[in-house]
Amino acid sequence: TQSTWELKDKLISKNVAVAVADDVCKSVQATLQSTKIGNFESLHTAIERSMIDALRRILRPKRDINILREVESARARRRPFSIVVCGVNGVGKSTSLAKLSYWLQQNGNTVLLAAGDTFRHGAVEQLEVHGRCLGVDVFQLGYGTDPSAVAQAAIQQAAKSKNDVVLIDTAGRMQDHESRMRALAKLIHDNQPDLVLFVGEALVGNNGVDQLRKFNQCLHDFTPVGLKSRGIDGIILTKFDTIDDKVGAAVSMTYELGQPIIFVGVGQTYQDLKVIEADVVVSALMQ
Amino acid sequence: QALNNVSKSAVIGEEEVKQLLNEVSMALLAADVNIQIVRKLQISVKAEMAVADAGAGLNKRKMLQNAVFNSIKRILDPGVKPFIPIKGKTNVVMFVGLQGSGKTTSCTKYALYFQKKGYKVALVCADTFRAGAYDQLKQNAAKAKVRFYGSVSESDPVAIAREGVRDLKKEKYELIIVDTSGRHKQEAALFDEMKQVQEAVQPNDIVYVMSATDGQALHEQAAQFKAKVPVGSVIVTKLDCHAKGGGALSAVAATNSPIIFIGTGEHMGGLEHFKPDGF
Ligand SMILES: Nc1nc2c(ncn2[C@@H]2O[C@H](COP(=O)(O)OP(=O)(O)OP(=O)(O)O)[C@@H](O)[C@H]2O)c(=O)[nH]1
Ligand SMILES: Nc1nc2c(ncn2[C@@H]2O[C@H](COP(=O)(O)OP(=O)(O)OP(=O)(O)O)[C@@H](O)[C@H]2O)c(=O)[nH]1
Ligand SMILES: [Mg+2]
Ligand SMILES: [Mg+2]
Repeated sequence: TQSTWELKDKLISKNVAVAVADDVCKSVQATLQSTKIGNFESLHTAIERSMIDALRRILRPKRDINILREVESARARRRPFSIVVCGVNGVGKSTSLAKLSYWLQQNGNTVLLAAGDTFRHGAVEQLEVHGRCLGVDVFQLGYGTDPSAVAQAAIQQAAKSKNDVVLIDTAGRMQDHESRMRALAKLIHDNQPDLVLFVGEALVGNNGVDQLRKFNQCLHDFTPVGLKSRGIDGIILTKFDTIDDKVGAAVSMTYELGQPIIFVGVGQTYQDLKVIEADVVVSALMQ
Repeated sequence: QALNNVSKSAVIGEEEVKQLLNEVSMALLAADVNIQIVRKLQISVKAEMAVADAGAGLNKRKMLQNAVFNSIKRILDPGVKPFIPIKGKTNVVMFVGLQGSGKTTSCTKYALYFQKKGYKVALVCADTFRAGAYDQLKQNAAKAKVRFYGSVSESDPVAIAREGVRDLKKEKYELIIVDTSGRHKQEAALFDEMKQVQEAVQPNDIVYVMSATDGQALHEQAAQFKAKVPVGSVIVTKLDCHAKGGGALSAVAATNSPIIFIGTGEHMGGLEHFKPDGF
């Protein structure tokens, strides 16, 4: 109908991926067909209400990830909790890693940063600057070294120095770059980190869904025989402060993966890591 | 690339013009073309079709395809000649853009490109904000064997840019490229700082660097950059993933500036000329 068309246009203008906007509108239409619209309610409000429900459903996490509790239980077992961040180039992986460190430290944990981006110029120094500002150690083996080996040695180092958490940075890579994707899968399967987070930016358009799908898929596809297949556990969505009300990427990403957005990045300081509020996102979309 | 989609979907449908136009619009939106631009395009294409309708006989599908092609080409060609550094003179070019769009990488590629053409080139790091920015550009420059200017002790990017450009001018560099921090329109202080750097170095050209993966928020950002400083060129990066790069239309439209290069990889060589016809 005309109204759902308009809403679809609105979602797209708010940066929801076209395919996702399509699906959402179809599901709204389906609900409307199966429910009777009361006399007191206009079609338009019924569509809006149903749309809000659909969006809330997408944004509601199907799985609850409580990092602090998991860190706590790893500590009880006397082993460091490890987190890997991954994603395409320039989205904010290293910055988010530093923010995560700050948040974990605020909550009484000791952290080790692992310079797993041994590829991009300045990546190691970037982490070292963060390490200095945050007062945490940075584990590095220099440029050109095997990132998987860096991660492994860092986890061992953290166990030795009794750090609660190891945060492992990785180089940005394009989702279609097969050898680089294989190297990421290797790092993850070799080291079996407790949490694999995909970092995406809220600025991203239709390509975001493709990024997330292929990162998740590559982890599954390149699982060595005998090991349990695993994928992306959760999402960090950065640069929320640059998009005004065009918050659609949050919907596209959670819709694609079915895993929660654990944090959103809302600026360039260490405190700018926030928990996403589904209601705020939905109302920005419906505005 | 956006156009590939267009021609594909335009070939499938043999139905009505309206239906076709809808499909084309959806393909454009899926390629991240800004929705305002798509709406304008719809109107202009409809108008063109109406005029063409008079001289019937022509294949409607073909006509529509042409109309869309032409409209997009009109947008991609802002009718402004791109700036080309002049040999034997001092040319200052400043790079600006959103965080992580690819400025530091692109300005090194740009430097290498002109150095290979025989220019005497230098890079200035006026990003004191991002952790490791100094080392990144310094290592990039070393790899490309380009002169690097930066400071680890000075924290004011305006001062570094001013002094860097002054010193390098004295050393008779022909192309002085100034890399700046990533910023966005919502942070007034960052935007003002960009203006101050611009006033301090008086660049001959300002290059707006955007990522091909950007979505609907790009248009407003690009427009605000242009409103703040006189952007003259655009570089679209990260076209090596399968992003359709439709946002490039927005960047060109919003800055009224031509795309001078596209970035197709993380390495120094990943820079290509932009050909609107192939796009
Ligand atoms: N405004 C804003 N900027 C951010 C945010 N998160 C990261 N950035 C900026 O984005 C740029 C890129 O951040 P990085 O952390 O270096 O990104 P990365 O994904 O590690 O990049 P590569 O390692 O090169 O792939 C930097 O200028 C950061 O300051 C955010 O939430 N908001
Ligand atoms: N695949 C690919 N990666 C690119 C391209 N251009 C830049 N990158 C990568 O994107 C990331 C960010 O690039 P930078 O040059 O650091 O971006 P920036 O705009 O200087 O970032 P800030 O200074 O933090 O705002 C790096 O990992 C680059 O290697 C490109 O054309 N293709
Ligand atoms: Mg990084
Ligand atoms: Mg930079």
